[in-house]
Amino acid sequence: MDKVFQGEHLLPGHLGQAFVVISFGAALLSTISYYFATTSTNKLDNSWLKMARWAFYANSVAIIGVCACLFYILYNHYFEYHYAWSYTSRSLPVYFIVSGFWNGQEGGFLLFLFWQAVLGNILIWRAKSWEKPVMTVVSLSQLWLASMILGINFLGSRIGSSPFLLLRHAIEAPIFSQPNYLSFIKDGQGMNPLLQNYWMIIHPPTLFLGLASIVVPFAYAVAGLWQKRYKEWVSQAIPYALFAGMILGTGVVMGSLWAYESLSFGGFWAWDPVENASVFPWLIILGGLHVLIVYKNTGHSYFTATLLVLLSFVAVLYTSFLSRSGILGETSVHSFTDLGMFWQLVSYIIMFLVIAVFFLIVRWKEMPITKKDEDTYSREFWMFVGAIFLGLSCFHLVLVTSIPVWNAMFGTKVAPPTDLKGHYNIIQGSFAMVITFLTGFTQFLKYKKTDVTRFFITTALYLLFAFLITALIVYATGLYKLHFVFMLVMLGSIYSILANGKVLADAIKGKFKLAGSAVAHIGFGLMLVGALIAAGTMGVVSKNEKGTIAISGFDRSSGVNDARDNVMIYKNEPVKMGDYTVTYLGDSVATPKRFFKVDYKQFSADGKITDEFVLKPHVLLNLQGAEPSPVPDTKHFLLHDLYTHVTALPIVKEPQGASAEDDAHGANDDKNYDPPITHDIAIGDTIRFREGYIVLRGLSKEAKVQNIPLTDSDVAIGAKLEVVSNGKTYQAEPVYMIKSKNVFDFARTVDDAGLKLRFVKVIPAKNQVEISVYQQPENKKPWIVMRALDFPYINFLWSGTVIMIIGFLLSIFRRNKELKTV
Amino acid sequence: MKKSSILGLIVIAVAIAVIISLYSSTSTYGSFSDAKKTESELHIVGHLDKQKELHYDAAKDANYFSFYVKDNKGEECKVVFTGTKPQDFERSEQIVLTGQMVGTDFHASEILMKCPSKYTPDKIETTEIKAKSANI
Repeated sequence: MDKVFQGEHLLPGHLGQAFVVISFGAALLSTISYYFATTSTNKLDNSWLKMARWAFYANSVAIIGVCACLFYILYNHYFEYHYAWSYTSRSLPVYFIVSGFWNGQEGGFLLFLFWQAVLGNILIWRAKSWEKPVMTVVSLSQLWLASMILGINFLGSRIGSSPFLLLRHAIEAPIFSQPNYLSFIKDGQGMNPLLQNYWMIIHPPTLFLGLASIVVPFAYAVAGLWQKRYKEWVSQAIPYALFAGMILGTGVVMGSLWAYESLSFGGFWAWDPVENASVFPWLIILGGLHVLIVYKNTGHSYFTATLLVLLSFVAVLYTSFLSRSGILGETSVHSFTDLGMFWQLVSYIIMFLVIAVFFLIVRWKEMPITKKDEDTYSREFWMFVGAIFLGLSCFHLVLVTSIPVWNAMFGTKVAPPTDLKGHYNIIQGSFAMVITFLTGFTQFLKYKKTDVTRFFITTALYLLFAFLITALIVYATGLYKLHFVFMLVMLGSIYSILANGKVLADAIKGKFKLAGSAVAHIGFGLMLVGALIAAGTMGVVSKNEKGTIAISGFDRSSGVNDARDNVMIYKNEPVKMGDYTVTYLGDSVATPKRFFKVDYKQFSADGKITDEFVLKPHVLLNLQGAEPSPVPDTKHFLLHDLYTHVTALPIVKEPQGASAEDDAHGANDDKNYDPPITHDIAIGDTIRFREGYIVLRGLSKEAKVQNIPLTDSDVAIGAKLEVVSNGKTYQAEPVYMIKSKNVFDFARTVDDAGLKLRFVKVIPAKNQVEISVYQQPENKKPWIVMRALDFPYINFLWSGTVIMIIGFLLSIFRRNKELKTV
Repeated sequence: MKKSSILGLIVIAVAIAVIISLYSSTSTYGSFSDAKKTESELHIVGHLDKQKELHYDAAKDANYFSFYVKDNKGEECKVVFTGTKPQDFERSEQIVLTGQMVGTDFHASEILMKCPSKYTPDKIETTEIKAKSANI
């Protein structure tokens, strides 16, 4: 046990582990102190509060310490640590070492802890009279999170998983019995190449900030119930709920951008359980946000607002459980495997669920629930309906995504629907339709009471407009081929954009404080428009056959996806695909990437090139025996994207051609070619072959062959051949040689044309020479199988997101200004 | 009737509709013999038979990939997938297929593989390391 191992750097690990323990202890102390500070009846005694604050500061500092130690280990490539060995390698550039930091689950927890600590400090600074109860809840959450990275044994079971675990403790292998084992571990496992993408540097921190920030509205809701400040917590929580909605939404879309840019499933959303899970809290907090505003303005919907805000954080914990517990095993491609913390994750959910339910029950009678119904023609009623439908949409997502959880709980063996994407698209589409209509016509309603006739006239007028525009879009984009639900979603989105456009126009004229929600709704509408057209009418460019292709998950009839969307193309042989003429030009290697140059040309009717661009999809070459992983390349146009990736490659053989400079006859590569065809030709004659022709331009008497000195009695003649293949011209000069009375010939290859040319003999009598043409059979020529997809109007999705973020920001400023914290 | 009760009823109705629609479209995990008995799609969990040939010839058809899978009951069947060979297919430990029988072949519309990912491994590359340590 106390064996000394050479070359280990134990200090950063010990230090880091000490910080982990301190962060846990400090969170515990902080929770207890805040609790007593809250319940203390002596208003003059600040000692609990002081202690609580110092403990929380200590917790924050310790977390920064943990991060610093972990980063130091990763940066210095101390592979004696399991985390460094598992997720990084020496060849990783520094910016990917940063993303290596959150590659593992422990790093994810650390990010979560870090953001929660930042939010806690902001609350200490700003929450004033709310600090004590709110921070009790935040500290408790911090305590649970800190326990996730403890990695210590307690009563025979391990609690948490520490990022400072040593490799020799994590893995059992005979080499760890040697004191100098480290000298055999030269490099780490490296990062999954698919994660080596710039979005992976920014997406996880954003997502975790979004998830962590939901704890604040939750804590305010609990504090409001606990301290019986039922009405006041609402306006405090609104800016934080807006912030959480904004950041979480951004984080989710960033993840989708990452998938679109660097994964090769060909899309931006796949309804994978892990993706869905990140949307649960977003939908609930959005619903919660709307009813919080309803309550603030009218006094209605108190219970729903409280319930949704409380549930949103429970949803955060459930999300974390789904992606980390390994329960998604058979249904998700990118969930983590279980680190042995299943029950610890469950306890986190149960703890906060119990807190939420406890306060709802205990305070049930005292809650300011109105007995009076909302007016049918009032904004608050329909906002409330909208929040309920956001909740229902989340309910459906949770229900389907959790199928493995139901199986585990009830011992059943139910499989998800076979056409899972279609199932999600249709049902979530229906919810989206309802929600977009609500975000549209609710704009024409006022709080409390609205003039009914005027409302119906405006609503109908805008609906008519929306209908006309939608009809145009549906016709132009071919959306009519899809299930009718998607056309209704389009109508709803356009309607919402128009209605909110009107609000925005009014806002610019004067009521500027209303701009935020209008802008956010317009952004949301545009996102749906973009997502719907791009995913629903995505075109397969690389199809072999004519005719329409069923897009899985959107088509009226579901079933086996028979999209034959892969096409094999040979090097330098142009292939017509859709509107493009596509040519595979060649490849180049820049370790660890191998790029494939694919040229796209568009011709006008009279044969002129109207547009030409080259895409370079690449594959990441893995060192440890795995197959290359494809990464797409996308040409972004204003109104559509052309997405291309390589789906199959020839199995790697001997190094290509090796340029075969001086390939003396007999070099045994003839088997790579079809049997030769011999031609007797004179200067100026032409030889035809499958893809072009060869012209003998002349004979050169001064042909030289590298490394072979020629004496006066030797003869070397070169045949100057011009090869024209697929519109390109190449030069080749095979050599015929008589040296020391022996005859040799030196073949030349033209790899791009798949040719080998030999100058076999001279026929002086006819003034001709004999040339042998070896041609590569089709399948020996370099090729790739590729898939090209066209995503129309996808920029609406991305620009809609940006607009929505701006809308959120405007609202945060507005709500923050209204806030008077006491 | 109060509006909130009407809304409550609507919510309950929608929730039930969602549950029913899910219930009616869920499928089952089955075996190849189950697949032969039914015409609907189902999920089959199994593993790749690495002894038998994986067929993918891009020159002939870039959208045809076939292989043999042994399901959890030990029955083996030829599987056809319209598309290219998924990356690291040979390394998969477990395969979840979605699809149905067409004639004697199982036509998969989706393949989900579980790989012993080298990125979440807990196996050290012992062969290489052992070879080196023998030289000391």
